[in-house]
Amino acid sequence: MKPDVPAVLAETAALMVRNAAPDVPPAERAGALGLSAALLGFAAQAWDGAAHNLVQENRAIRTLLGEAGSDEDLHLSVLSAENDRLRATLIALHTEVEGKDPAREAAIWAELVASTERRLVAGSPV
Amino acid sequence: MASPLETRLAAYIAGRMPGVAEVAVDSLTRISGGASRETYRFRLSWRDAEGRALERKLILRRDPPASLIDTERRIEFEAYRAFFGSVVPVPEMLWLEEADAALDHPFFIAEEIAGFQASPGLLWAEPYAANLEALAQRKWTILGEIAKADPAAVGLDQVMEPVASDACWNRELSYWEGVLDEDEAEPLPIIRAAIRWLRANPPPPPRKVGVVHGDYRTGNFLYDEQGVIHGILDWEMAHLGDPLEDLGWSLNPVWSFGRGLAGGLVPREKAIAIWEAASGMAADPAALHWWELFNCVKGQAIWVSSARAWIDGGNREPIMAYPPWALQNAQDRAALKVMGRL
Repeated sequence: MKPDVPAVLAETAALMVRNAAPDVPPAERAGALGLSAALLGFAAQAWDGAAHNLVQENRAIRTLLGEAGSDEDLHLSVLSAENDRLRATLIALHTEVEGKDPAREAAIWAELVASTERRLVAGSPV
Repeated sequence: MASPLETRLAAYIAGRMPGVAEVAVDSLTRISGGASRETYRFRLSWRDAEGRALERKLILRRDPPASLIDTERRIEFEAYRAFFGSVVPVPEMLWLEEADAALDHPFFIAEEIAGFQASPGLLWAEPYAANLEALAQRKWTILGEIAKADPAAVGLDQVMEPVASDACWNRELSYWEGVLDEDEAEPLPIIRAAIRWLRANPPPPPRKVGVVHGDYRTGNFLYDEQGVIHGILDWEMAHLGDPLEDLGWSLNPVWSFGRGLAGGLVPREKAIAIWEAASGMAADPAALHWWELFNCVKGQAIWVSSARAWIDGGNREPIMAYPPWALQNAQDRAALKVMGRL
């Protein structure tokens, strides 16, 4: 998720401190806290599965690209940076095989559909 | 005691109301939401030349330090003005200020259409749920009226950038692709594939270039319990273009609110039929499909630019992080659905 979860949590914490002051207008406080609660909910959902999903996705894309390698450093920032590199390479491959290699194209689409399932947010409108 | 913003606002308005006295602003309250503009409601009071005490509920829309979408407030202001008093219900625009001096950022002031709801979240429960069909009828009838409007007759050809009918699709796609190129914080393989398809399969030119609202969706109008719409809001992305662009945005699956219905209100085909009857235009299925997929690209560009404004520190309000977290994956899934892959 972008912006990155740790940065948003830190900013949300600061926002809550500001809203703890007694002179914040109630409507502003309500708006800020309502959105903050929603962001905390998204972060809570993402927490447990984030590393697992990135490792799975990176593995699936490496297979499509025919790349060797695996994720050794499991920091989310490192996994996410590798995911960005792999997805950028996947776009290039997708562009290259479009209309020329139906089997590879279908495999790429299957992974793209699977990626949206991994990233699905509870309450998603779609 | 008046807040500093109330005092400055009153001073600005007093300068625009010659011949009146005791101009004052109170009850200034920020309305939550509003990722592209800071929105406040307030009460203006004054004494006229005969000494009568008068008051009016007004809205202040002020540019934030960094916005979810970068638009010119003059175009938004003039779009509202163009439709004021017509069958397209909009609030009256009063003053536009494009300089920073008065309130630090450009802003405009409009009447408040008070007493109605805008939040989509209320629609699926009583008393509103009983009139969703009536609301849909009004929603897509008004959109048909916008499509039918002659930009020259309402004066918008003077403020909006002209576009040839066969250039509508490319201008819009290139603009939003440019936003993605500039703002995306991570690669977007589904949306990039959608863009390649859109470029390879352009739509036919529209029969006429019309006024496009640009953000016509459930959530951007004021409604009542009977399903009557009292104000169409959020014209900040208004422009000239293919009327099917607006219809496509209104059908974007992210605006179904998980109900599997157009705008969360009625089946897709019903919405299209209402629009066709009101606009007098046929929605060519292939062209509409193109504009529906385009609107998935546009939607993603908006969520991505919101994330970018947050990441770069220009605007750290939670409303800027919410759209990308809540809607980026949903928008990818919407694109897959429109492409028949989900």
